[in-house]
Amino acid sequence: MCFPEKGCKKTGTRRRAVQENTAGQLYTIEGIAAGLIMIMTAYLVVNATSVYTAGDTHISDMQLEQLGSDALNIMDTPETMNAQSELRMIINTSPPDGGAFNTIFLNLINGKAGTGNDHIQYTANYTCRTDPGDSIESHLISYSRPMTGGEHAVRVTKWVTVKPSFPFCGTTNTNRTVLAEVLIWRD
Amino acid sequence: MARLNDDAQWIILMGFLISFSFFFLAIIINQSTVVGQTTAESVIEFPKNDIRDLRGIIEQSANMPYPDNATVNKDITVLSMNRKNAIVKYSVFPPNLPSNPHTTASIHYNNGVTTFYENWTSL
Repeated sequence: MCFPEKGCKKTGTRRRAVQENTAGQLYTIEGIAAGLIMIMTAYLVVNATSVYTAGDTHISDMQLEQLGSDALNIMDTPETMNAQSELRMIINTSPPDGGAFNTIFLNLINGKAGTGNDHIQYTANYTCRTDPGDSIESHLISYSRPMTGGEHAVRVTKWVTVKPSFPFCGTTNTNRTVLAEVLIWRD
Repeated sequence: MARLNDDAQWIILMGFLISFSFFFLAIIINQSTVVGQTTAESVIEFPKNDIRDLRGIIEQSANMPYPDNATVNKDITVLSMNRKNAIVKYSVFPPNLPSNPHTTASIHYNNGVTTFYENWTSL
């Protein structure tokens, strides 16, 4: 029988009786809502296993690499034609002129618009091939502070031609090419 | 007699809808922290500065006399392999007057992901 108190209505004309039963609507809505809440919870639980932070995007790494690469490029550009670049002069002395490298490089990468300086540290060395043969050797140029190993550093490199008048990686007074490598990190 | 009261169904449904949309917006804002990851990583991974640097050093070595140019060639090849994980092979050809007054170089570079080949001619 169709009782209004059970949510059943009689619609239709006098000739044709149609019964519209709306008794279960609230139950249906409640069921759909419960299902959606369960799906949401499952998603939150699974997503919580990997937390993404801003460092995971590597945007700051990319910016730091570009900064260091530009600084090394500036240092390896001679000021006038037939002059030597600063980086070449630094590596062309025995031992390498670490003080000059420190001053120039820190000035280049720590400059900020406005007052104050940035806090970027570095360790620089150069690698050369021991002539004759295929072995390589690395020598320190300078560093701003000792590396503890916990820094998140990026590496930038620059090829430098030198012609040292002292014994250098197996030759003397010969044109050589070394790779200047600098590890940069932000304190 | 008692009736089943189904008056507030519409407003309850709207309430659920609004809360689900809040949740969705919270997810969108939370995921926005990783925007730019693949862009930055592809910029880091592409060796643009390496290749430009290599071209510069090879052009510098084009005027070196023998045997310095052979020493520098070996320097670049060995150091690239050991420190830059890249295979570099290049040859510089001096001018062949009078028919060819230009210095030419052919440069091959391959770091396992990107290869670069250039036939460079001087002015």
